[in-house]
Amino acid sequence: MRLTQNSIAGLICLALSIGMLVLTRGLPQSSFVPVGPDFYPRIVLVIMAVLSVLLIVIDLRQQAQGTEAPAAATPEKRNYRLVGVTYAIFTGYVILLPLVGYRAATVLFVAALQAVFESPRGARRWAMVLVSALASSFVTYVVFNDYLSVLLPRGHWTGW
Amino acid sequence: MYELLLGGVENILHLHFLVPLFLGTLVGLIGGALPGVTITMTIIIVLPFTFGMDPLQGLATMTGVYVGGSAGGAITAALIGIPGTPSAITTTFDGYPMVQKGQPGRAVWLGIWSSFLGGLLAGVFLIGATGPLASIALEFGPWEYFSLFVFALSMVAGLTEGSLVKGLLSGAIGLAITIVGSDPIMSVPRFTLGTEFLRNGFPFLPVLIGIFAFAQLMTDIEKMGPADHGAAPLKAPPLTVSHLKVIWEILSRPFLLVWSTLVGILIGVLPAIGGSAATVMAYDQAKKFSKTPERFGKGNPEGIIASEASCNANVGGSLVTIMAFGIPGDAVTAVMLGAMTIHGIQSGPLFVSQHPDIAYGIYAAYLVAHPLMVLICALGARLFLRVVTVPKSILIPNVMVLCVIGAYALGNIMDDVVVLLLFGFIGYALVKFRFPLAPLILGLILGDQIEVNLLRSIMSDPNPWLFITRPISGSLLGLSVASVVFALWQHHRHKGRITEVEDPDF
Repeated sequence: MRLTQNSIAGLICLALSIGMLVLTRGLPQSSFVPVGPDFYPRIVLVIMAVLSVLLIVIDLRQQAQGTEAPAAATPEKRNYRLVGVTYAIFTGYVILLPLVGYRAATVLFVAALQAVFESPRGARRWAMVLVSALASSFVTYVVFNDYLSVLLPRGHWTGW
Repeated sequence: MYELLLGGVENILHLHFLVPLFLGTLVGLIGGALPGVTITMTIIIVLPFTFGMDPLQGLATMTGVYVGGSAGGAITAALIGIPGTPSAITTTFDGYPMVQKGQPGRAVWLGIWSSFLGGLLAGVFLIGATGPLASIALEFGPWEYFSLFVFALSMVAGLTEGSLVKGLLSGAIGLAITIVGSDPIMSVPRFTLGTEFLRNGFPFLPVLIGIFAFAQLMTDIEKMGPADHGAAPLKAPPLTVSHLKVIWEILSRPFLLVWSTLVGILIGVLPAIGGSAATVMAYDQAKKFSKTPERFGKGNPEGIIASEASCNANVGGSLVTIMAFGIPGDAVTAVMLGAMTIHGIQSGPLFVSQHPDIAYGIYAAYLVAHPLMVLICALGARLFLRVVTVPKSILIPNVMVLCVIGAYALGNIMDDVVVLLLFGFIGYALVKFRFPLAPLILGLILGDQIEVNLLRSIMSDPNPWLFITRPISGSLLGLSVASVVFALWQHHRHKGRITEVEDPDF
């Protein structure tokens, strides 16, 4: 027996539902209301736990019988490194937004992500990346801040 | 009713509403034509632009995007054989072969005019059925609402491809997200981990944007090569055609047009099934009813008519469900539901009677968006092919920036952006674990309503049998069980043939 994708997903959901079920203990009850604030969450979490167990059991049974659901027919090559880098850059963007403000953070974010996607070579390509990032930041700022009255974040460090 | 509708059309034709509707339809057509950018994604991108607008302006824009997006997929589907949106997949079957036979104008315009006619026919249903359905829903007590929402969830979970348990579990995860925050009766904080921000629960739109946008963007990114500079510019063939001839080609098949439209409406009305199911089913039906089924897949106009008429009719059907019951017909209407909430509108049975100006404004926007769509296509269908060559390296960072603005502008707080980031991770993880997203989104939308109606019914009468003995409630719960049993039977029948798709239908 090995832990397949479905078993892992089932275990994660089971752990989450049990963890949250534990947290429902100690929620204050009221004498005016027939059911407390824990009533509905417990129903949902028990259903989630039961379904998680079912997912694991079905997966283990399929493994034992050798009748696992066939995986996607065409396993394409996936660039997970790029996904990881994208998440890292996006997390940096979320951290930088309140510190340096929307305009600067957006220039940095768009330029960084485009550079990762394109791997620009030569001054001309880099200049295009920079121009594209500046344009993105400028256009969205003007459209949202000036025309659509959406106040975009200002930086604590920069003041703009 | 017709006076209100005429008033709505008159209102929408003012530049104040017409310009946003035109722009929404244009952006929808472009988003629909862009392979890899779905209508849901286009709506998410457009959403922050509507925050500063008044409610009808914003909703007219969204309606335009929805109508335009549903038709836009046909252009790329026919001309380059790549569906701009998943629902246009069946248009490629006959549209592309027709183009290869040297009839690009006929292929594209058969698609556009079928979308137009199917959409308008569905509009008649939308305007005629929403009111009566809402009146039925007005008779509902909390028992019936609870059972209706349970039915919607069980049906969606049961109809998902792949594992039934995963579909149900996905719905349960959606419900579990909504139990975070204060309880609706005593406002006792639950699972807030001591933070003030979570007292109101996870904000709906950042969660939705995070799950949908990131799940799709990251799935695109993982397929990118080391230097994806986009495709070489495509040269569009001339699309000149006799429009009267094309329209006659469609109208001379009235049964096909009406039947495909009905299939589209029906799938649209059923919660969260989506446009792809509508077009696939309509195409399949058209083939079954056809006298020449062997011609399907070889450039048969019937295939294009069935696919495109059902695709836009599906929009009308989805709008009925959202306006009469407050239940989203698919992922796109889920985001539209969020947009309505932002503009202070509570969708549901009281919506049409309490906000007739907005409701009839939406009907009018829906009707006017169709001729606008035809007009835009007549002016620039060939230009859309240039847009599809925009490199993903430029498109993706900008879409992400718009997602951040959409989440942030909701309450002007960074916490919402953090929620977007968190659910961006969760959405992608769910896709990687091959969970269907539609039940999760429905659970997320209906969770609060399910809890409120369950508690209301218990507080009115603690007898739990009422859920079964009240006729409508009992029937709906019976249908819920039936839908799960049907799904089990279907899974059993296809045992071994069901594959779990890694890239779900966004």
